[in-house]
Amino acid sequence: MDTLNILLMGFISVVIVNNLVLTKFLGICPFLGVSGRIDMAFGMGLAVTFVITLSGTLTWMINNLILIPIGLEVTRYVCFILVIAGAVQLVEMYLRKFFPSLYDSFGIFLPLITTNCAILGLCLFINLWGIDNLLEAVVLSFGAGIGFTMAICIMAGIRENLNLADVPQCLKGAPITLITAGLLTLAFMGFAGMIR
Amino acid sequence: MILASLSQLWNSAWPAGMTMLGLGTAFAVVLLIASEKLKVELDPKIEQIHEALPNLDCGACGYAGCTSYAKAVIQNPELIGKCSPGGPATAQKIAEVLNLQVSDSGPMHRPIVHCRAHTNDKTSLAEYAGLQTCTAANTLPNAQACKFGCLGFGDCTIVCKFDAIHIIDGLAVVDYEKCTGCTACVKACPRNIIEMVPFAHENMMVVACRSAETGKSTRANCKVGCIGCGICAKQTDIFTVDNNFAKIDYKSYQPTEQTETAYNKCPTCVIVYRGPSAPEPRQPAPKTAAAKA
Repeated sequence: MDTLNILLMGFISVVIVNNLVLTKFLGICPFLGVSGRIDMAFGMGLAVTFVITLSGTLTWMINNLILIPIGLEVTRYVCFILVIAGAVQLVEMYLRKFFPSLYDSFGIFLPLITTNCAILGLCLFINLWGIDNLLEAVVLSFGAGIGFTMAICIMAGIRENLNLADVPQCLKGAPITLITAGLLTLAFMGFAGMIR
Repeated sequence: MILASLSQLWNSAWPAGMTMLGLGTAFAVVLLIASEKLKVELDPKIEQIHEALPNLDCGACGYAGCTSYAKAVIQNPELIGKCSPGGPATAQKIAEVLNLQVSDSGPMHRPIVHCRAHTNDKTSLAEYAGLQTCTAANTLPNAQACKFGCLGFGDCTIVCKFDAIHIIDGLAVVDYEKCTGCTACVKACPRNIIEMVPFAHENMMVVACRSAETGKSTRANCKVGCIGCGICAKQTDIFTVDNNFAKIDYKSYQPTEQTETAYNKCPTCVIVYRGPSAPEPRQPAPKTAAAKA
């Protein structure tokens, strides 16, 4: 029961309170780049969720089972990037085989998941937060992916409606998108302090 | 001293190197297996056709982008001439890749706007202050007096990827130097006044109006509308008057003396030239007191 409680709290925390995009400002590139249409945003969110879960889990294992026993914590970044790049390659091959239309519409943003700092950030945060069991690491990684999907889908929904809004000429395009993102962040700041 | 620190460096570096090597090898094996299992067979012709295409992803062919057009054209060679930005040269290259002969596809198609009314020529019944797009304005009956003319909010300008159509003083004007004939503006125009026309000559003669109202109402709505008087149709056969406006049979248009006479005789000057080096359109004579008398 206690474990379940911790897992649930951790999940909610990483999805809402410590949302990587909206409170830690990580992964802004796809957040602004692929949030034009809600179906693409959702696909992107799913791809990132897959990569982040896989790499969060693997990096926790590599860190705790290989790097810490040997005393090689300094090579963390290199190892983590290696894991993330490998996972993205896997996703890319999978999408190309089974969802060619989604693969075409992502274009450059698919390989760019590699450099999505939300993923590396999460892998490092898991260490920073001192997570010491595998299950928690898996749940947190998955939660971070869900949080990213939620954020990008909210943004895509707003931007779809924004297309019909009467935006002043000087704010059209990127400026109004950034302002929207800022307001969204402000709203999510309201959750701060709810858990932990 | 230097030797000692070098060996120290080596001693602390090799475990890191071995770890990275081990991890890298493990991932390489996983990816190798995955690439074998998830292999996608690609026809090498797709790549060749894709290289021959202009890679603008404009969508003129009716496909999402050049890649999907390349795939479609292999399945169905009838689609060869669909790439309008590439033109005949691209069609020829695709045909070479597919080992086919391409027939002459005729002159290039370019859009013409069937309206020549700038802001001063139009009449408004009321001031339109709604959404500043043609699609929205077109849903209202009274956004401007003429129900057939260019609204001038620039839906066509937004969709144009080549910066080739602009709203100049309330009228969409095609820049034929930049236009590739991708038909995006034709699809965007809610009033359907942009039409693709075979440009057999550098400049084409165009009846720049589609007003189906009677001559009297057209005159009330616009200074330069076609009133369907039929003077042009009397000069030569390529003009036909139907639904209160004149049309040109673009396929059989040849610049002759008769068309020139029709051009000069048009009372509202709605017959104009469109093209990269088109002359300035004639302006209707202002109604003076002398003309009335």
